[in-house]
Amino acid sequence: MISWWQSLTFARRSGAILLALIVLAALFGPAMATDPVSQNLDRVLRSPSLEQPLGTDHLGRSMLARLVHALQLSFSLALLSVLSAAAIGISLGLLAAWRGGVIEAVLTSIADAVMTLPVLLVVLLFSAFAQGEFWSLYVGLSFALWVEYFRVSRATIKATLVSAPVESARMLGFGNLYLLRRHLLPELAPVVGTLMLFGISTAILALAALGFVGVGLRPPTPELGVMMIELFPYYEEAPWLIASPVVTLGLIMLALALLGGRKEMP
Amino acid sequence: MSAPELKVQDLAVKDGKGNWLVQPCNFTLKPGVALSIIGGSGSGKSLLVHAIMGSLAPGLRASGEIRLGNAASRAEDAAGRRPWWGHTLAMLPQEPWLALNPSMRAGKQVAESYRYVSHARMDMAQARAKARSDLDQLGVAAADGKYPFMLSGGIAQRVAFAATRAGGAQVVIVDEPTKGLDADARDNLLTVLQSVLQNGGSVLTITHDMHVAQVLGGDIMVMRDSNVLEQGPAQQVLENPQHEYTRALLAADPEHWPPATPGQGTGKTILQARGLGKRYGAHTLFSGVDLEIHAGERIAISGPSGAGKTTLGNMLLGLVPPDQGSITIAPGLNPLKLQKLYQDPVSAFAPRLTLKQAFDDIIRLHKLSPATLPRLLARLKLDEALLRRLPSQVSGGELQRLALARILLLSPALIFADEPTSRLDPISQQETMDLLLEMAAANETAVLLVTHDRMLAGRTMHRQIAIQHA
Repeated sequence: MISWWQSLTFARRSGAILLALIVLAALFGPAMATDPVSQNLDRVLRSPSLEQPLGTDHLGRSMLARLVHALQLSFSLALLSVLSAAAIGISLGLLAAWRGGVIEAVLTSIADAVMTLPVLLVVLLFSAFAQGEFWSLYVGLSFALWVEYFRVSRATIKATLVSAPVESARMLGFGNLYLLRRHLLPELAPVVGTLMLFGISTAILALAALGFVGVGLRPPTPELGVMMIELFPYYEEAPWLIASPVVTLGLIMLALALLGGRKEMP
Repeated sequence: MSAPELKVQDLAVKDGKGNWLVQPCNFTLKPGVALSIIGGSGSGKSLLVHAIMGSLAPGLRASGEIRLGNAASRAEDAAGRRPWWGHTLAMLPQEPWLALNPSMRAGKQVAESYRYVSHARMDMAQARAKARSDLDQLGVAAADGKYPFMLSGGIAQRVAFAATRAGGAQVVIVDEPTKGLDADARDNLLTVLQSVLQNGGSVLTITHDMHVAQVLGGDIMVMRDSNVLEQGPAQQVLENPQHEYTRALLAADPEHWPPATPGQGTGKTILQARGLGKRYGAHTLFSGVDLEIHAGERIAISGPSGAGKTTLGNMLLGLVPPDQGSITIAPGLNPLKLQKLYQDPVSAFAPRLTLKQAFDDIIRLHKLSPATLPRLLARLKLDEALLRRLPSQVSGGELQRLALARILLLSPALIFADEPTSRLDPISQQETMDLLLEMAAANETAVLLVTHDRMLAGRTMHRQIAIQHA
């Protein structure tokens, strides 16, 4: 574990620390913070103070509480959709690479078709079924994201299946399950890991974008994009308010990019 | 124009912990005279030339001085030697396939060196013309419009060599240029290197092929375990070696092995093949191959490169279906009894799995007794501690013996050995071959060997089958 940490570059270490802090805030923040939706119209648009470290918004709600709740929401939805997308993508990739023929042709054409649509558009299409619902966003995100896992795992598995190590393992009498466990999945893991980090950032960004244009989750749900559009009218009077969701979103993107970023040259 | 003299003084390489990887050494590379560094794998030969180039991996530190003509550079100052690259000093790395850009046609890669590296400042059209004439001179004119993956090893080597030379460098370093090449490709490459020498260039070659050192002549330097053991004129070192290790290295050449007794196998028939043929598209690899393999027999498959030697072996193992003919395995023989040793032992193991895990998995799968393994490893002179490592962390010779141990666990009736020693130095080659033959003899295992080394085949196998292009 320690040697693994030492093998990371400075950039990846900083990314990991930053992400860990953000995730900790998302995990434990909501339990410690106050109610994110309770209003107090006597004290709106307050500047940061000891009691309210990030100030209060136009309805007197605690910005800190809203922010940590928004973080939790974004992360859980993003993680859920990325995990589902990866599970579906890898399974279908495995199926296509292993069986080949018509199955592969059909799956590849579907994947290519989905690939032509921008992620945001796919999520928008799905969210049109049930606007502002958590599940429609989840299904939309998963559907937009599975394609890359499918393509990557299909290509990797196809190459690994014809490689000499697999050939020799087969000759030694090992079955398909063993090949999957010892040869195919270990090859896939590092690639899929990086893809998942990028997938999470895509999902969080898409979610915020939809919230911002008003087709994602609905107010009063604390969500980064929703918060941005709500606080947008007050940016001249209380710039620190809109700054907090924007900076938070920026930090999440930075942490994920640093962590998943370019590997060291061998 | 003759090459500047390359003079190396007290050049040494240490790793980050201060261990010597190359002990301080001195030598001079004179124009028109070849210098060959010979020695086993892991002796520091490649590190030495990387230290000269200034292309050591991060974490390794070089010390000493390198002089090229009138210019001098401290070995630590790797960046200071960058301006020499291509113009005066050039290196052809191991595995030319990997040195070429896979997405660019061969001729264009050579032209790029003329256009951007050479001091002649020519435009692309001129550079293309120069590149074409170079490739023509090297006898690979047909490679001009092809991508690297379409080229055979020997041809890719010559293309990479043309690209290396196009910058105008007169001092050329070549790292194991003949690894994995058949005799014809090797002789071709030697002719090319000799012509560089005749034109006043100088060539520093790393090799473990004694034949290469002998043909190039000049001086020889022998290395082992980071030390230079011996250096001197080629003839003197080869004919009257002073150091024991040099003698062992020379004696390990298949030329000096005792010849095998030729003969036909008489044991139980393992496998029978009739009229085998294979073609790829319109191109026929071979046809009408008849073969019968008996227990305990040793057979070499010989033929020019690209004739389908490996394909034939794979076909007998059932890995490739034949286009014509039939293969009959002796009734009652489990297909698991037919096993294969790979040319590159690294490719026989799962790359991210420790060797221990790989062996445990086999023992569990076939319900073998766990006590067999230590005994087998001891017979193959392998340390059990090696098992804790990943395949990439074990030397080629040891890994090839581990691969042998793995298939011996299944007590095979036939081992198809696909150039099992072409990537090993002579001493590991002899060790590996001896052990393979010893274990095969003890278990009445038949051995089918593919090799481009006619001497090796003659010295170890009972009979040869030749395949030719139909």
